[in-house]
Amino acid sequence: MKSARANFFLKVAGGLALLMLCTFIGGGVIGYLSASNPELDASSVGMWIIGAIAVVLMIGSLAVGVVWMRSIDEAAREAHKAAWYWGGSGGMAVGGVFAILATLPAAAQWDLPNLFSGRTDPAAYAATGAFGLMFLMIIGYAIVWAWWWLARR
Amino acid sequence: MNNRLKVLRAERNWSQAELAAQLGVSRQTVNALETGRYDPSLPLAFKIARVFDQAIEAIFSED
Repeated sequence: MKSARANFFLKVAGGLALLMLCTFIGGGVIGYLSASNPELDASSVGMWIIGAIAVVLMIGSLAVGVVWMRSIDEAAREAHKAAWYWGGSGGMAVGGVFAILATLPAAAQWDLPNLFSGRTDPAAYAATGAFGLMFLMIIGYAIVWAWWWLARR
Repeated sequence: MNNRLKVLRAERNWSQAELAAQLGVSRQTVNALETGRYDPSLPLAFKIARVFDQAIEAIFSED
């Protein structure tokens, strides 16, 4: 168990180091391109690079998830499966209420929080909604995971 | 499902951590098994039977 755990943390550390390297190289590329070509729109180049890093990050997260799931025992796996289904579904159900309400014309008057430097454009609100739903799902996940283990003490 | 895990472990003077190490699971999992609040998968049940050198039905029984 201990060696599997150590192996898992080593792999996660390696993945994070790789991500830091990608971010460092990406920053260097943006800096070089914008310095050597003043007409170049650095923000659009940056968006492509950040997009690529985000894809690498998400694929890396899934890979870490596979390694992690294989490193834990079957009861721990069952706890996470229950947490994912019931906690995630519960969080999604709560978020679903807001999603349905947001489709009503009256929702146009809502004073929504500006989580991204005060931006009020559709993309910022879409991101706010996505992160809000993820937050609710994570809360549900944590509650069900804790309940699963507490019920089996 | 009922089981005799706690009795069998006590007979051998093993701690939960020692049994967990032999089974390749966490101590929390052994505790959940002993209290009957978690039923093991068939592969884990076979492993438990091997560790205690007993048949599965000699360790686990229906409610």
